[in-house]
Amino acid sequence: MHLMASKPQALNSIGPMRAFASNSKKVSTELIEINEVLMGFNQYYTEYYKQLSDTWTDAQKKVNIKAPEVPHDVEQIEAFKRIWIDIFDNDFTELFDSKKFGENYGKLVSKELELTKHWNNITNVILQSVNLPSKEEIDEVYKEIHTLKKRVGKLELELKKKEMKKNAK
Amino acid sequence: MQNESAIDPKIFEEILKFSKNVIDAPKLVSAPDEISLEVTKHDVVQEMDKTRLLHYAPLTDKQHKTPLLISYALINRYHILDIHPEKSWVRNLLQQGFDVYMLDWGTPTSMDKYLDFDDYVNGYLDAYVEYIKNESSVEKISLQGYCTGATIATAYITLHPENVKNYIATAPVIDGWRDTTVISNLAKHMDVDKMVEVVGNMPPEFMYYCFSVLKPFEQGIEKYVNFFKNIENKKFVDSFLRVEKWLSDTPPIPGELFKQWIKDIYQDNLLIQNKMYVGNQLIDLKKITMPIFTQVAVGDHLVSPECSMPLHYAVGSKDKTLRMYPTGHVGMIASSLSQKKVLPELGKWLLERS
Repeated sequence: MHLMASKPQALNSIGPMRAFASNSKKVSTELIEINEVLMGFNQYYTEYYKQLSDTWTDAQKKVNIKAPEVPHDVEQIEAFKRIWIDIFDNDFTELFDSKKFGENYGKLVSKELELTKHWNNITNVILQSVNLPSKEEIDEVYKEIHTLKKRVGKLELELKKKEMKKNAK
Repeated sequence: MQNESAIDPKIFEEILKFSKNVIDAPKLVSAPDEISLEVTKHDVVQEMDKTRLLHYAPLTDKQHKTPLLISYALINRYHILDIHPEKSWVRNLLQQGFDVYMLDWGTPTSMDKYLDFDDYVNGYLDAYVEYIKNESSVEKISLQGYCTGATIATAYITLHPENVKNYIATAPVIDGWRDTTVISNLAKHMDVDKMVEVVGNMPPEFMYYCFSVLKPFEQGIEKYVNFFKNIENKKFVDSFLRVEKWLSDTPPIPGELFKQWIKDIYQDNLLIQNKMYVGNQLIDLKKITMPIFTQVAVGDHLVSPECSMPLHYAVGSKDKTLRMYPTGHVGMIASSLSQKKVLPELGKWLLERS
């Protein structure tokens, strides 16, 4: 069974399947790690919505205390709207400004980034199987271009200064 | 028995009118691509990579000798400074006889992820300052920085003081630890190394999220309710759509630049402590000795006054002015208050030194 299964890979030594198969373990590892990250992500995601929901409930209670009666005319509706918006804006700004929100949101974003990183790694396996550059390899090129541009810029500046000196003489 | 309703019938009238306005809206308002944010006539006089230098056409016969370069923020685009003929920062300065240039940072792509503070300060900004000096045949220019553009401009004037005659810092991002805004709280808890490593440039979508948590109910609900209520007011709608178009267009921020900005300003607060390095050179705010005018908005919920004001006290300048205005971050540069109060004061200050 094993020989039969590996036969297409042996036949297509330069085709995508061989390269993909040789890295397929990496894909499995990444998928297992994605599951672990997802657990953490869900934890922070739940906490994120809990914070929003708790703040909403508290803000609505404050509105109910401040404006207990149902508005009956246009002016009262306007006044109610003002109270509602002010209380909700204040309470939510207080939440977004808090350490507990900042920390949880930071961790939530961090988990999202980890997920993206694992997804990138899986994509790299596929890219390499068809001889395309990985994200890291493209980043290296970008970095090299950036360094070269800086060097050229400095050289041009030095040349300009020399020319100015020459012209001054 | 008569069935009396305690509800004012005007409420139903209001609801019907509001519903009608919502239905009529598509017929009454322009599509975003029909609105041009290029208000005042200008030429693109220089380009470097994706950045551009704009030069505005004069509106007076005679102009003051020292030209003014505006270093706009990294978030959204420079159009807010020229958003509407009646609220244009640029136009007002031109009408006061100033020769105005604008730095458009452009739209960085993935390829630009390694651009850093050094590239922006000692690369683009320095090159454009040199260009203006040559074009205007002056030794020094006036420089204005707005928001994060002022962080870049502040770094620039400490490293190249010989090029700048006057400096205007408008809502500058300086002291991250004192900043009391939501943005600052999110920035402090951000794993910026991981973000830049994984996504490269700071994506606009993430910035939209950060802005959406600023006054979420006033900005997310009331603003749009007011828009539909005023749908027949052409002036209101025009002004609203211009700002909305501006808000919805923000370029990505190059990864390395973003990383240094978040770390050095918000997380480690190096700039105000004179410990920040740009291109291996120390940024020492005490080295700023030229006249400096700091503009702060009391109601600024993007850059709090506590974050901006320390610049005034940290610089070595003897000729320094701090002005606080009863408005917000955008109100300071694009409102009737900016036209009536902020710009006349700035023009007077600048004229005395130009």
